[in-house]
Amino acid sequence: MLEVYRWVLRLYPDAYRREYAEEMVSVFRDAETAMRRESVPTRFWFRVREIKGLLSGAVREHLCGFIRGQSWIPFRRFDMRSEFRFPRSTISLMLVILAGVVLTIEKAKGIQEKYGAGTNVTSVWSTLPQSLLVMVIAMCVLAAAGWAILFALRRSGVHRLSNVQTWPEQR
Amino acid sequence: MQPLSEPALLVLLSLAEQPRHGYSILNDVEIVSSGRVRLSTGTLYGILHRLLNRGWIERFEEEEGSRDRLAYRLTSTGRRNLRLEVERMRQLTKLASLRTARREA
Repeated sequence: MLEVYRWVLRLYPDAYRREYAEEMVSVFRDAETAMRRESVPTRFWFRVREIKGLLSGAVREHLCGFIRGQSWIPFRRFDMRSEFRFPRSTISLMLVILAGVVLTIEKAKGIQEKYGAGTNVTSVWSTLPQSLLVMVIAMCVLAAAGWAILFALRRSGVHRLSNVQTWPEQR
Repeated sequence: MQPLSEPALLVLLSLAEQPRHGYSILNDVEIVSSGRVRLSTGTLYGILHRLLNRGWIERFEEEEGSRDRLAYRLTSTGRRNLRLEVERMRQLTKLASLRTARREA
């Protein structure tokens, strides 16, 4: 487990890793040693929590580093609320909605077959993974495009326009 | 000043009692929250990193020349801000008690 932990730590920015990695490994080792007395499920959830914490921490540190570097971005929320966590209830809700949609499609297919509609209906299960993959790729492309636009604006120097003095300062 | 998240507040409260190293903070946060808040090391060091950057806490070597035993303690700025945050929460709970009591009456 320690090897996995060290490996995931590599996802953090270099400066952060130099500063905290050694200490984090030491604390993790202590916590893991204390966990040896616990039951198997408790140990399992401890490991899940640790890896999840590391992954979200790595994303947060990269995001904060990016936002700090882009000083012209008008919002600083990520910086101020660094401990923001994606609510678990949202994931559950999304899964319920997805299950509902899939169930509705299957039900509709059953009704269509029952009343002898002429068209051939294909099962939703065969196309679901591809559809989800396409959605994820489309979202990544959109995010990359958004980032590229922000980066281009930054390089063009448009953010410096707010510093331009349009009339002489009155003394 | 932005309101603190619960894990950050618990970390500060843990350090308000005495200086602690990482593992000791993890344990103390779990104890004071009655097992409700269990921080991972990733979350804990994210919080410590922010608090260090804001100057609310400082890091020091528990034993001379030993980076293995780095510990954390509140600075005077951190202690003052923690007091302000606690005061803000006290006013909020007082208001909540008053309003809910009036509603029930």
